Amino acid sequence: MCDPADDGFKQSSDYFCSYGIYMQTDLGEIVPLWSTIPFVGMLLSIALFPLLAPKFWHHHFGKVSFAWSLIVVIPFLVVYKGQALYEFMHIVMADYVPFIIILIALYTVSGNILLRGTLIGTPAVNTLILLTGAALASWMGTTGASMLLIRPFLRANSFRKNRTFMVVFFIFLVANVGGSLTPLGDPPLFLGFLRGVPFFWTFKLAIQMLFTSAILLLVYYMLDTYFYKKEGHQVHKQQTDKEPLSIEGSHNFLFLAGIVGAVLFSGMVKMGDLNILGVHRAAQDVIRDGTLLFLASLSLITTKIEVREANEFSWFPIQEVSILFIGIFLTMMPCLKILQAGSDGALDFVVKAVEEPYHYFWVTGILSSFLDNAPTYLTFMSSLLGRFSPGLEGQEAMAVLLNEKDLYLKAISAAAVFFGSMTYIGNAPNFMVRSIAEETGTPMPSFFGYMLKYSIPILIPVFILVTVIFYL
Amino acid sequence: MLIEKILFPTKFRELSFNSLRTLLPLKASGLKEIVFCHIIERDDVGFVPFGGYMKEEEEKLREQARIRFEDWQKSCAEYGIKSSIIIEVGEAVPHILGIAKKEKVDIMIVGRKKKVAMGNLFAGDHTLQLIRRSKVATLVSKYMVNFEIDGSQYERINENIFDLPLIVMDCSEHSERALNALISLNNTVKKAVIVHHLRVAISKKHDAGELHAAEEAVKDTFDKFCMRLKEAGIQCETHIGAGEIVEEILRISRERNATMLIMGTTGKDRLHEFFQGSISHDLVKLSELPVLLVP
Repeated sequence: MCDPADDGFKQSSDYFCSYGIYMQTDLGEIVPLWSTIPFVGMLLSIALFPLLAPKFWHHHFGKVSFAWSLIVVIPFLVVYKGQALYEFMHIVMADYVPFIIILIALYTVSGNILLRGTLIGTPAVNTLILLTGAALASWMGTTGASMLLIRPFLRANSFRKNRTFMVVFFIFLVANVGGSLTPLGDPPLFLGFLRGVPFFWTFKLAIQMLFTSAILLLVYYMLDTYFYKKEGHQVHKQQTDKEPLSIEGSHNFLFLAGIVGAVLFSGMVKMGDLNILGVHRAAQDVIRDGTLLFLASLSLITTKIEVREANEFSWFPIQEVSILFIGIFLTMMPCLKILQAGSDGALDFVVKAVEEPYHYFWVTGILSSFLDNAPTYLTFMSSLLGRFSPGLEGQEAMAVLLNEKDLYLKAISAAAVFFGSMTYIGNAPNFMVRSIAEETGTPMPSFFGYMLKYSIPILIPVFILVTVIFYL
Repeated sequence: MLIEKILFPTKFRELSFNSLRTLLPLKASGLKEIVFCHIIERDDVGFVPFGGYMKEEEEKLREQARIRFEDWQKSCAEYGIKSSIIIEVGEAVPHILGIAKKEKVDIMIVGRKKKVAMGNLFAGDHTLQLIRRSKVATLVSKYMVNFEIDGSQYERINENIFDLPLIVMDCSEHSERALNALISLNNTVKKAVIVHHLRVAISKKHDAGELHAAEEAVKDTFDKFCMRLKEAGIQCETHIGAGEIVEEILRISRERNATMLIMGTTGKDRLHEFFQGSISHDLVKLSELPVLLVP
C-alpha cells in the first residue's frame, strides 16, 4: 500500500495513492534491459532516416515517433500499471512540457527580432558575427541565435565564392558551443536545470567555452582571411545601395529578459507543490511555464507579421521538435530509471565501465554527436546520480553531485553541448542552419563529408585539448 | 484603373485551369499579361527533421510547375496574352504579396478553385490573409462551389463571371474605386447591377420622412452612377437594400442572377475587423460568387 515513509513515494502523488495504486520498489531495479530498445530505436530513427529515406522521414516522422512510443507505453502500462502510468505522466509533465515551452518561448521571441542592413562579409565582419552569435546563444538559445543571424550572415557573404566553411563554423559556434553558459542556451542544460542544477552553475563552463570558442574563432579567421585573399573579390567596394544596420522588433529583447527572469525565478523561489494530473509540480515551475507562454504570446501580438515573414519564420521546426521529443521522452523513461538505479539496475555494466570524468566527457560527447544531445545528457546525468547518489531522490541526489562530484557534471554538460556540433544530427539548430544555407544556394557537405572534412579534423583536436586541460 | 497585368498564383489544385480560362475574356478590356506564380511551401522541401533541405525534391517540384505553366501559357498565347512564370520557395502569403508588388500587377487572383465541401466557407485562411493585406485589387475566384440555401443543396459553376457583375455602392471613396474598376471592364462587361444599402435603421419608431429622404438621395446617386456606366458602354439596373447588409447583397445577387460581386474595401486591419467585422470579407466567405475587392 502507499507508504509515505518510502522515498519512492515522495515523488508520487496523492492522486495515485488515493486510487490505491501500489507503488513498488524503484522501477529502475526491476525493468529489463530490453525495455531500452525502443529508445535506441527512436534515436537511431532520428539518426538514420534523414540520411537513408529523407522524403519518407519528412512526411512520416510523427508516425515513427508514435509507433516507438506505443511499443514502450502499452507493455509498461499492462505490466507495471499505475507505477508506469505515474512515471510516464511524470516525465511528460515535469520534463517534456517545460522543455517544449522554453523552446517555444525562445524560438518565438527570437523569430520576432529581425536584423536588417547591409553587412559585407569580410573576415573581420564574419568573425564578429560568429562571436556575437556565440555570445547571444546562451541567452536566446542556440536555435534563436542561429535563426537571428544565419540569414544576415549568408546575405553578407553572398558575393563570396567559398561559403561552405563559414556555415560549418556557424554551426560549431553559434548553434552549439556558444550555448553552454546558461540553461537557456542548449536543451540539455535546461533539462539539467529542471532536474535541480542551479541556473548559474553552468557559468562554471565559461572557461571551457571561452577556450573552445577562441580556438575556433582563430581558426575561422585564418581560414576566412586565406580564402578572402585567394578569391580576390572587390564586390563590396562596388556596392552602392548599402542599407544601414538596424534591428526590427527590438522590444523583443525585453521579452528575452523576461524569459531569463522567469527561469531564474523558478530556480530561486520555493512556493510549494501543485498536483497536476496526479503529478506534483512546483508552483514556481508552473508560474514560469505560464509566464513563458505569456511572453511568447505578447511577442507575437506586439510584433508586425512582416518581421516574422522577413525572418522566414515557420512553426514547422517547433512542431517537429514537439512531435519527435514526446517520442524521445516516453521511450527514454525505462532507460533513465535503469540508469538511476545505478548498480541495482540492468545497466550496471555501463555505470561501472564509465568511471573517470574524461570517460564521461568522451562517451557523452560521442553519443551526443550521433544522437540528440538532450536525451544523451539526461541519460548520463541519471547514470551519475545512480552512481554517486544511489537511493537518494531529486534535489538530495543532485546536491551530492553538485557538491562532491561536479567535475563529472561539467564533463557531461560540456560534452553534450560541444559535441552537438560534430554532426548535422547532434543538435536541432544544425539541420535548420544547413537547410537555410542550402535553400539560399550555399553548397553544404553531406553527412559524412561534414564529419570528414570539418568536424573531425577541426573539433576533435580542440576537444582533446579540452580533455587534457580540464579533465585529466 | 486598367487591368493590364494579372498575378495568378496557384497550387495546381483541381480546376485551377478552368478558373484561369474565365479570366481570358479580359483581353477585350486591355489585359496584356498574366504572371503565373507557384510557391513551393518551404515546409515541403526544407527543415527535414534532423536532415536538412531536399534540393532534389525542390528541383522536381519546380520542373513540374514549369511544365504545367508552359501548358497554360499556350492557352494565353492563343488569346494573344503574354505570360511569365515565377516559381519560388517559401511561405505563400508573403511571397505572393511580394511578387504582386515587384511585378506591379493590377489585380491578383486568389481563392480556392476546387470544389468546396458542403457547409464550408468559400475562402480559406490564405485567401483571407491575402485579401486583408493586398495593396492591389484581388479577385476571389470560385470556379465550382456547392452551397445550401434554405436547406436545399446547389452546385454552381462560375464560368462566365463577367456577364452580370453586381457592384455594392455607397457614397464613399472606396465605392468610387470599385466603380472605376467596373468601368475598366467596359469591353468585357455589358450590364451590371448596382446595389445601394440604406444605412438608416428601420424600426417601429423610424422616421418615415428621414427614410424617404434617404431613398431620394440614393436615387440621385444611382442616376449619376448609371450615367457614368452608360458612357462606358455598360447598361445597369439598380436596387436598394435594407436590413442586414451582407444578407441583402446575397439575396439580391441570387434574385438578379449576378455572376460576380464587386466592392471597394476600407483597408481595416485584423484588429478592426475582429471588433467591427468586414462586409467585404464576409461576402468573400459567404457568397457563392467570385468577389472582386478593390482597395
